[in-house]
Amino acid sequence: MSLLQSHVAPGSPEFQANESEHRRLVADLRVRMQRVALGGGKRSRERHLARGKLLPRERVSRLCDPGAPFLELCPLAAEDLYDGDAPGAGVIAGIGLIGGRHALIIANDATVKGGTYYPETVKKHLRAQRVALENHLPCVYLVDSGGAFLPRQDEVFPDREHFGRIFFNQANMSAAGIPQIAAVMGSCTAGGAYVPAMSDETVIVAQQGTIFLGGPPLVKAATGEIVSAQELGGGELHAKRSGVVDHLARDDEHALAIVRSIVATLGPAPKPAWERIAAREPAVEVGSLYGAIPPDSRTPYDPRELLARLLDASEMHEFKAAYGTTVVCGFGHIHGHPVGVIANHGILFSESALKAAHFVELCDQRGVPLLFLQNISGFMVGRDYEAGGIAKDGAKMVAAVSTTRVPKLTVIVGGSFGAGNYGMCGRAYDPRFLWMWPNARISVMGGEQAATVLSTVRADQAAAAGEQVPEHELEAMRAQLREQYERQGHPYYATARLWDDGVIDPMDTRRVLGLALSVCANAPLGQRVAPLFRM
Amino acid sequence: MFERVLIANRGEIAVRIQRTLHRLGIESVAVFSDADEDAPHVRGAEMAVRIGPAPAAESYLNVERIVAAATTTGVQAVHPGYGFLSERADFARACEGAGLTFIGPTPEAIALLGDKAAAKQAAQDAGVPVVPGLSGERLSDDEITGWVEDQQLPVLLKAAGGGGGKGMRVVRSLQELPDALMAARREARSAFGDERLIVERYIERARHIEVQVIADAHGTALHLGERECSLQRRHQKVIEESPSPVVDEKLREQLGSAAVALAQACGYLGAGTVELIADREHPQSFYFLEMNARLQVEHPVTEAVTGLDLVELQLRIAATEPLGLSQQDVKLTGHAVEARIYAEDPANGFLPSTGRVGLYREPSELRFDSGIAAGSEIGTHYDPMLAKAIAHAGDRAAALRRLAGGLRQTRILGESDLATNLSWLLTLLDRPEVQTGKIDTTLLERIGPELAQPQQDRELAAGLAAVALLGPTCGGDPWDVRDGFSLSGRNEVFMRLACHSKESEVRLRPEGESAWRLGTAIVDTAGGLLRVNQSDGLARIVEAHRFDEGIWIVDEGQPSYFTKPQERSVHHAGTDSLQAPMPGVVLEVRTQQGNEVGEGDVLVVLESMKMELSVSSPEDGVVGAVHVSVGDRVTQGQALLEMEGA
Repeated sequence: MSLLQSHVAPGSPEFQANESEHRRLVADLRVRMQRVALGGGKRSRERHLARGKLLPRERVSRLCDPGAPFLELCPLAAEDLYDGDAPGAGVIAGIGLIGGRHALIIANDATVKGGTYYPETVKKHLRAQRVALENHLPCVYLVDSGGAFLPRQDEVFPDREHFGRIFFNQANMSAAGIPQIAAVMGSCTAGGAYVPAMSDETVIVAQQGTIFLGGPPLVKAATGEIVSAQELGGGELHAKRSGVVDHLARDDEHALAIVRSIVATLGPAPKPAWERIAAREPAVEVGSLYGAIPPDSRTPYDPRELLARLLDASEMHEFKAAYGTTVVCGFGHIHGHPVGVIANHGILFSESALKAAHFVELCDQRGVPLLFLQNISGFMVGRDYEAGGIAKDGAKMVAAVSTTRVPKLTVIVGGSFGAGNYGMCGRAYDPRFLWMWPNARISVMGGEQAATVLSTVRADQAAAAGEQVPEHELEAMRAQLREQYERQGHPYYATARLWDDGVIDPMDTRRVLGLALSVCANAPLGQRVAPLFRM
Repeated sequence: MFERVLIANRGEIAVRIQRTLHRLGIESVAVFSDADEDAPHVRGAEMAVRIGPAPAAESYLNVERIVAAATTTGVQAVHPGYGFLSERADFARACEGAGLTFIGPTPEAIALLGDKAAAKQAAQDAGVPVVPGLSGERLSDDEITGWVEDQQLPVLLKAAGGGGGKGMRVVRSLQELPDALMAARREARSAFGDERLIVERYIERARHIEVQVIADAHGTALHLGERECSLQRRHQKVIEESPSPVVDEKLREQLGSAAVALAQACGYLGAGTVELIADREHPQSFYFLEMNARLQVEHPVTEAVTGLDLVELQLRIAATEPLGLSQQDVKLTGHAVEARIYAEDPANGFLPSTGRVGLYREPSELRFDSGIAAGSEIGTHYDPMLAKAIAHAGDRAAALRRLAGGLRQTRILGESDLATNLSWLLTLLDRPEVQTGKIDTTLLERIGPELAQPQQDRELAAGLAAVALLGPTCGGDPWDVRDGFSLSGRNEVFMRLACHSKESEVRLRPEGESAWRLGTAIVDTAGGLLRVNQSDGLARIVEAHRFDEGIWIVDEGQPSYFTKPQERSVHHAGTDSLQAPMPGVVLEVRTQQGNEVGEGDVLVVLESMKMELSVSSPEDGVVGAVHVSVGDRVTQGQALLEMEGA
């Protein structure tokens, strides 16, 4: 182990500029988070409370151990979509502690369009279930939803990763020994009725929760029968006659107490997949993170500056420090969890890819979870590099990352462009968690490169046809492309579409990683597999 | 001098006597009951003898066992302390009979002073004023009236045949007398079957002043000044001091000579106390009350102002050494005040309280005579006095200040039922009457309600308890940190807490990085301290002590104990009617409309499939309409009765 040192000068103009830009970005993030935390509009919140129901965040808070952290997933899902009608996509998902045990909680927010499922709601629900599956987390569903958002039924109902997948996941998780618990705290209509029905143990709030395949209007339309919602699917009916639920609660608080009681019967938490040692705060002042890290991904910096502020005691055992220097690999700890870090800066060369692939194999062999810190502009291009086999070296890195048995965590701290995103464990490579910093950018290539590439192609096509594109037209095209890439590569564009698990305050990174590593340790490591490396 | 002494007592006095024994190089032998196995007085002794079960009658009052313990352990002398056997002539005799020195007066003196009438006569004979009164075999109304007409009013009529306030009447005018006589006789007759009355002068506002005397076997008898013990609650002394704020040199000389004369008249040996009552405003009019043939609880204030160790003097006298002091050698320096700390709950009618002591902290700058320690179990078998704090300073005001300072430092916290009078004492010390010395024996009864504890901000205390229970806001495993962290910022925290079985919900609002907002105050736990920052800029540190499942919060000296209540019961809620779980016949209806029932109480018994089936209340509540009676046939799900909820 060696001590990482910081070489930035606090108080320098660069430091201050970095810091003020990070602070501006984080302030913007806070504003968005606070707005989303409110859920639906004032009127719908008041209506919700007037019914004696607790607001969904309060339900989650009361369900969890007082004051314990809540590792929320995708809080800004559907951000800026649907004219802002679906804050958080109308559902809260995250990992909390119930009686000292990690649990994945999914709580519908009935103040957002009655808790109905938009496409991003479905995606978020499924993402949360995926997190539960990968980390062996008991699932608690606090149901208060009118089911699919009917105007968009084509985007939520028919496909493989649509509404039906929720129940498929419940059945399979339950079968795999991952408990499924539901508390029906409001409507639970149509497909939604299967959430409690597919659960292992279910609670309903009397005079408040309802479960039915077809609501009173549909029943009337279908058979002419006139029946009230409570008669049709209230708690009394389901607890005493239908047997669809197992526990009848007086009110929200009671229901949450029953859920806690159910979780208490689950037995001890699984043995962690690795040993945690005593945590030590970084030796380098964590508070200087904003100033030390340039927010603009085009400004190069040594990722060791970041590692010095993430790793316990700022200590790292660096691997191949002198080889493939555009990627830094090393062993360290975060909040006492062992971790193998792969942090890159700039371009990946063959050597960098080979080194990273080797390091992934080391972690895989030793059972050490991996942390990818992405700040990458892509793999090197050019004749010599292609000839040098950069494609097969990149493939080795991608293969190693794809097949490793150890949990992977990814934080996009700067640029995430092109094949670099693949090698550095982008969303497609199933990291257990993936977060973005508010200054990060993600796209197939940088806006500038895309503008240049496409305008060159356009000009070449025209030239081939013997025409010439006026420069102002090319410039307009480039500007349009730059704007499009900037917009679509922005973290809020990304997080709205669930390309990540959330945008985080860079200052929270160490803590979030500590929480996540603990969560990952719930699932045992699998058997090692040997990918075929193209040599 | 003795080489080994048995202390026939327990608690603070046993510990205190032990201290002097050890200072003099004398071995101490403790006795203990089953309840005191691990008590400080046992731990501090060279030897300890188990003398019986917890009840005092079978242990600390068991003469035979204690004498046997003394014989077995080969002690030369027995110190009885106060209370228990200290004033039992038969015990003193039994010691003598076993060849042991009883550290105290002779059995004869004990017997004489134990007889109220004889003691009063002895006092009168020795020239000690006694309360003017008329007593005789069978006083007629006329005899009493005749005496009263010559007296200063008010007077007190008392039943000759008993005590306890029955048959007592204060008469403030002659017109009241006939009715008062009739009423007093009637009461005396019904209470004691004896309508005889005596009459004496009634001192409306009396001070309790007592004189410490000490006499050796060589004819020296001295007084060690007086103590004033007027602050009493139901005849139980609470605060004692020496000297009395109203006794001057001249009066001290008068009181002292009277007391010494009485001691000499009864052939007294050792330390004793002559108790007097004096008019509050005119203490020169003082009267004999009784003489206690033992060391008093409040002896430390005399020790503080005289610089003498009374236990050491007792030992020397018992060993027939001369006192080696003359009256001129006795000088009172400064002022000393003692407060008695009781296990009692001032908020609950001063009922004795019990429980295990968790946190125990003595004041660092005061003499503190205590019989308990952390882990002590406070039971109901013995006197509820736990300890005494004694402050000595140059003058009275300074002594009172030091005493209050010491009490503020003192902590006796444990199980939630274990209450002490500590903060009540502090309120009392603050009273103007106490500060100015304008005190009398009924003061505490009169100002009792005003001494009620300052209404504590329970909500704030509960909030502080919640913050303390959450623990520090930083730590190794981020899952162990309880600061409400989430990606959306810090979450509010809800916690249910119970204080004296009263549940309340605390809502903590996050403030800044790691603090919480409680009303207008900001609370944080930085550095492991519980710090309250008020909006007016004042900040204070609040103590929090975890004990068992809960936590003690001590805010501005006020302790309160909070526990996390059991998770709310997970019983099914249901309609408000209780239904038959199976078809059957009603065998019994055990309740009726309006009955309060508890969770689990059986309300109806059915016979179904040849089995008896009890239908019990799902929760605490009140029974509404009952729909069935014995013999009714019911179907499954049929409502048996209504419940009107919790």
